[in-house]
Amino acid sequence: MTAQDKEKRAINRLESMRPLRAKVNETYLKSVEAIQSGKPAVWGMLNFYYGDPILKAMDIEVVYPENYGAIAAAMGVAQQYLDRADAEGFPTHLCGYSLTTLGYASRMMKELGGEIPPEAPLGGMPKPLFLMSSAAICDARYKWFQALGRYMDAPVWTLEAPTPGVKEFFMEGYYDAMVTLGVKHLRDFVAFVETMVGRKMDWDRLDRITNLMIEVNRVWHEVNELRKVKPCPMHSRDFWSAMPAALFLAGDLEDSLRLYQDMYREVKARVDSGIGAVPEEKYRLVFAELPPWHSLAFFDKLAERGWSFVVESFGYRPPIPIDPDVMAVSDPLERITRFSLQFFAGYYEDARQQKVLGGAFAYPYLKYAREWKCDGAMLHPLISCRSASTHLPYVADMLMEKLKVPSLSIEGDIVDLRLFNTEDALARAEPFEETMDHYRMVRQQEGLDW
Amino acid sequence: MYFAGIDVGSTMTKAVLTNEGGELLSAVKGPTGPEHRRLANEVMRGALEQAGLQIDDISYIVATGYGRVNVPFADRQVTELSCHARGVFSLFPGVKTAIDIGGQDVKCMKINGGRLIGFVMNDKCAAGTGRFLEATAATLGIRLEDMGDIASKATKRVQISNLCTIFAQQEVVALLSRGEPLENIVAGLHIALASRVAALAQRLVIEPDLALTGGVAMNTGMVRAMRESLGRDVLVPEEPLLTGALGAAIIANEAYREAAEDGTLPTGTRRLEEATFFAEEDL
Repeated sequence: MTAQDKEKRAINRLESMRPLRAKVNETYLKSVEAIQSGKPAVWGMLNFYYGDPILKAMDIEVVYPENYGAIAAAMGVAQQYLDRADAEGFPTHLCGYSLTTLGYASRMMKELGGEIPPEAPLGGMPKPLFLMSSAAICDARYKWFQALGRYMDAPVWTLEAPTPGVKEFFMEGYYDAMVTLGVKHLRDFVAFVETMVGRKMDWDRLDRITNLMIEVNRVWHEVNELRKVKPCPMHSRDFWSAMPAALFLAGDLEDSLRLYQDMYREVKARVDSGIGAVPEEKYRLVFAELPPWHSLAFFDKLAERGWSFVVESFGYRPPIPIDPDVMAVSDPLERITRFSLQFFAGYYEDARQQKVLGGAFAYPYLKYAREWKCDGAMLHPLISCRSASTHLPYVADMLMEKLKVPSLSIEGDIVDLRLFNTEDALARAEPFEETMDHYRMVRQQEGLDW
Repeated sequence: MYFAGIDVGSTMTKAVLTNEGGELLSAVKGPTGPEHRRLANEVMRGALEQAGLQIDDISYIVATGYGRVNVPFADRQVTELSCHARGVFSLFPGVKTAIDIGGQDVKCMKINGGRLIGFVMNDKCAAGTGRFLEATAATLGIRLEDMGDIASKATKRVQISNLCTIFAQQEVVALLSRGEPLENIVAGLHIALASRVAALAQRLVIEPDLALTGGVAMNTGMVRAMRESLGRDVLVPEEPLLTGALGAAIIANEAYREAAEDGTLPTGTRRLEEATFFAEEDL
């Protein structure tokens, strides 16, 4: 057996993942076609289901610089944009995604007069009509877009977002106030988009798209629930390949729904037949934060050791399904707002009751490790992303204290491959197995059931 | 029966031979350099000579350290973290926490009965490692092995604010040009390195007994600085550099017994004589 064959078989990838992954490529190509045929295209920030359905209902093609940064990294072309951002004077400790796309924007606007750089992967991101940023999670998410907007000479709309995970979030009337405010913001956003494109919103279309968005994410949630089974039928690599269609609403939603249903069937068939994504699953792990996109083969090497990544960070997973009563709400803007809030708040009530501080980011890992029966956690603090990193030591402490699940922390970055050393990371994997073996025994002694 | 552990570290390569009862028969150290295989061969030959043994007398050999894959005569490769844990436990049976400061990394380990139950290591930066002292010693024009004695004469410790090795070198030059006494600077360097290592170690919950190993533990100034930074006593082996190789020899002994039970003992001739960095079969 050649090394190549071995690598291919290290992770048993899902066939149903492939058309979902292809939807991402399709999205970028469609945005370029849209611009060429005079249709508007927008650069959007990951907004957790808040602004996307509005743009989709207005038939606007959206590309996501955050996602594009990951693509550029995975396709090995990010470095030149990072270098260019460096030359433009942006500090190297800024978010790797932001630096990649700021470098891209600089090259496109200052060097090529608005033309898409010829080396840009997937046809590139065309000049946008406007940019839609989001205030959720961290300041980089709107300051970055303001900087991009200046390069592109295009207006920037910032979607407001709640600040969950703080105790004020549970004050009487707070949730309803958030809904009221959210709906108002969306109404303002619709008016802004109508002005920009010179057309009125098709409210019936928005109604359908909203319901489809919620249903796509419900099915995607059910797929991931199946991964609790041993051996785990689906690896995190398939999760990351398939997630953009649900997270960014990439491509046609009816098509996405069908594809996620196909994926559910394939994963369920594996569950029924006892087929694992890693043929000899020895260790089940939760992966915290985004992976090193430039070095995904790293996970194949770990799979050869029997490591199966069975669950990932909550920030990229579909929300816990929403109360069915919400579907009866007639105003689609309110349904959108409640669904987006569900992403932020879905775990917090449970976290608060269990007195887990920092519940917003840390609590989901406790839930995952317990329900997906994880032997360990691999934490990937991202040197250029504070939001994704600062809570991880706390996560490690909580997992050990409450569940006796050890963590392995490997520093790296989502884009900058200079910050991730595959060999060094693999060298730590072997001794970590000794640690996982020890705590498997400790959990049994303490009456935990895995 | 005899067992061997060989630790190919970033700076030094070490070989240890033990008998069936775990008694140390010989130990040899040498600089690693770029040709791992040649040196692995040399230190092994030296250890055999010291013990009066032949390569065929050795029942099982475990290689460890970052160059472990370049020891073709080893029966098995084991990560240095596991070997250090086992080695330090054999020397200090009460050890719960160990810190190994090597040439290019620092490993902080939690140990339970000789097993590794948790660890943290430095990431992306040599500032917490032996390289920090090596580089600054070169800048100061002193020998690495003299740093401990020099620091013991300090009347005060100069604060070294740069954690980066390169910037620390520049800082040291500036301090020298200001007329700061050498011993005060060296004492400051020790405490700067010790503080950084202590901060890393405290990510684990430190439990006594605590042991300090690795080449840097041979520096008495660093041992003093570590005790001060951690606010607790640290145990130091007589030969702190040999801990990993010793652990590898212990694991070799265990692995031999397991293999004998399973009927999977290694067969064939060991490649001690042929092993060179430029062996034709490797081209």
